Amino acid sequence: MLTYRDYLTLAEKYLLLAEEKSKTQEETNWLLIPATILAWSAIESFINNMLDDFGFLPESMFQLHERAFLLETRIRFVDRGNELGCFTLDGAEYRRLEDKIAFLIAKFGHARLRVRKGDTLWQDFEDFKETRNRLVHPRREKEVTLDIMKARKYIDTSKNTIQFVSQHVWKKKIEF
Amino acid sequence: MIKIIFNERAKENELVRASVDQFLTLVPTLESLHQLPIFIFQDGASGAYYIKCSLLAQNTADLCDLDAKLDLENPETYRANRELLLTNRTYLKMVSDAINGREFNDIIVEHNTDYNPIKPLKVWGGQHRVNAIGQSITKGKNNRYHGFRIYFNLTKSQRTEVALISNTNISVSNDTFDRMIEETKFGNKLLKWCQLVGFLNGNEDFPDVGSRSEKISVKRARSFVVNYYLGKQKGEQLSPDELDKNIYEPYLVQTGTAGGISVDPTYEKIMSENDILNDSALILAGERFRALHNAQVRAITEPSSGVKNTKAFRNKAFVESVLCGWSYVAGLLQNHPERLENHYRIPKTTKAVPDPLNAEEMSKYKHDSDDPTYRGLGTRSALKDRQRIAQLFLAKSLEKSVVIDKRLMDRAVSTVVGLISLSKGYV
Repeated sequence: MLTYRDYLTLAEKYLLLAEEKSKTQEETNWLLIPATILAWSAIESFINNMLDDFGFLPESMFQLHERAFLLETRIRFVDRGNELGCFTLDGAEYRRLEDKIAFLIAKFGHARLRVRKGDTLWQDFEDFKETRNRLVHPRREKEVTLDIMKARKYIDTSKNTIQFVSQHVWKKKIEF
Repeated sequence: MIKIIFNERAKENELVRASVDQFLTLVPTLESLHQLPIFIFQDGASGAYYIKCSLLAQNTADLCDLDAKLDLENPETYRANRELLLTNRTYLKMVSDAINGREFNDIIVEHNTDYNPIKPLKVWGGQHRVNAIGQSITKGKNNRYHGFRIYFNLTKSQRTEVALISNTNISVSNDTFDRMIEETKFGNKLLKWCQLVGFLNGNEDFPDVGSRSEKISVKRARSFVVNYYLGKQKGEQLSPDELDKNIYEPYLVQTGTAGGISVDPTYEKIMSENDILNDSALILAGERFRALHNAQVRAITEPSSGVKNTKAFRNKAFVESVLCGWSYVAGLLQNHPERLENHYRIPKTTKAVPDPLNAEEMSKYKHDSDDPTYRGLGTRSALKDRQRIAQLFLAKSLEKSVVIDKRLMDRAVSTVVGLISLSKGYV
């Protein structure tokens, strides 16, 4: 199982190779695209695993809707059987990465912090997300242009986002 | 008649004077040969009395007893000195020097005729030098004078202190210190307990250096006992549904001279409040843990297991975090018999997990919150590791038949990390 550090290392390797190739004017998209996607996967891996940490805790420590969010499941109203009239968790319901981050900070962050969408980090994150979505869900009219600078920035944004969540939830600075 | 003088800092004591007088009558010294006065000194810190004098190598070899005892009243006393390192290069150099006429000084002995009276000089500091002197005599002439500090009328605690301070100038392990202090404070209770539950054989003693041995050390045995009682105390306050909602902090008993030459206060308190030799539940916990250790050793040494037969993997149960976490949970679950029985069951093994503690997988385990240098689960004694291992065994106790696999490790470590994050302000 790869960790967020592994994804970042792979992203850095692709970027390094791209930097080498660019010196001789060679094509680099085949290296910059995986570097960008891997940098995104690093955040996904980190955030999903953090949600799992809380998902492992005894059920009674959370409200049903919080557990549903942590486990990425749907809440279903039971209309038959022994649990008639109760709510239960049933079936997958995937959440957006930014929502997961916002939840982690709001629920477990210290000093009642909230994510502020005007912050530079959040702006960088949104920009990164836009590029990643265009790469993963390509459309003719939404072209992506990547270069070394941009890919470097995405890797940094990945690290900064991870660091931000770690410092607020774990009160711990991560070593990459 | 040799003049015996109490030094100005030494309080006159007729018993001590008589002992010194008896010693000088029986043992020839350079000072008595030349009718030189003998001064009696008194150590300001411990109050122990001693003299300084010179003895011939032959008398040293004849009169010195290397098997000194701390507790004279107990026939099953601990071995106080460390093992002689007869192949150690420094020792071999000592022998060679002695043969070449080296005169040694400040050999520390106690004059005591209460046991093995043929050898009344009980060696507390300089056992290697004394042995080297003996070797030099058997290999040649070399009947030279060597300098001694000779203690008289020591109490048990003074004797322990003499043993400890005499050994600070050589490389004596914390485990040897622990063994000495253990006996002084508590007699041989812990040793007996370890023999009773099978950690040690009937005639075995604690090792000099735990890290080099595959036997349980004083520190680990103490930690086992302490954690069992701390866990028990905590468990009494918790209802079954609260058990899995806590972060537990198994305790690592302080060793050696950490915090001064003394016994860890938590251990001291627990030993004063409990009779470990008659606590059947503690004895059962010890026996079950020993069974786990034995099963782990068997699994690793089995050639077909496919796991590297290393000391670290064989002795996984004796790693401080594993031992502390396991015994803490054993205590914690005393009021929860079903889960206790699950805890006591040796973890299942499979083709993929051939040893009960899955030592190799544990050593690879890393959580996202760990630094890149983290060496794996259950490999260190740090609090973080002790917390995680306690949670691992607690999670294991939820079911009867459990394999310690990566899934269980994930679940346990995630629980600790999650609980810590949830309890904001927890440090």
